[in-house]
Amino acid sequence: MSTRTASRPIGATMTDTELDMPIIDMAVPMPGFPAHRQFVLVRLNDDGLLYAFTSVDDPELRFLVAPPEPFFPDYAPEVENEVFAALNTKDPDRLLVMVVITAGVNETTANLLAPIIVDRDSHRAIQVVLNGTNMPVRAIMNRTY
Amino acid sequence: MLVLTRRAGESVIIGDDVVITVLEARGDVIRIGIQAPRDVQVHREEVYKELQQANREAASPTEDAVEAVNRMLRPSSEQD
Repeated sequence: MSTRTASRPIGATMTDTELDMPIIDMAVPMPGFPAHRQFVLVRLNDDGLLYAFTSVDDPELRFLVAPPEPFFPDYAPEVENEVFAALNTKDPDRLLVMVVITAGVNETTANLLAPIIVDRDSHRAIQVVLNGTNMPVRAIMNRTY
Repeated sequence: MLVLTRRAGESVIIGDDVVITVLEARGDVIRIGIQAPRDVQVHREEVYKELQQANREAASPTEDAVEAVNRMLRPSSEQD
């Protein structure tokens, strides 16, 4: 496999404005959203702290997602082999972890029980449930940096 | 609902490729093993429902809510 994929417009078949955005295929749809199988990650924050995981089929549908490290430094989800298989993962170092944020004007929470794992090479993603971890579905988000 | 009686070690097959095996029954706790293709997700029902609910709450936040999150993310020197 060539390493020049970065310069190739992966989303070139899309007809809207996000032409250079790779389309991410859900290996399994997100619970509650069975019909939405393709998303793009739209950066909302200059420092890369906030993205909109936006449905290709329905741009009205988007989830705020964030890398967990800046907010939950001790959070280190363990990904099982079945996840690698579902994502066609060749190199686990190419996996990206994003937590789904529920934005409220007064309180913002992050779903630590079920992060979205994205494989940056295969462009496949899955929302995994970290069974047996007792991670919260609604962890209050604060700036810790 | 289809109701079947199974003993420990016995299985049921759903469709062609989902196999559910009763591993152990002790009082009102039953341990089951599930074999399913990798695109079939298996969850405890209450966990799945909570996740569905959480995803629906998270979906498509208002612009105000997005702005509130972005404000929180700004370095403190830029906050008022």
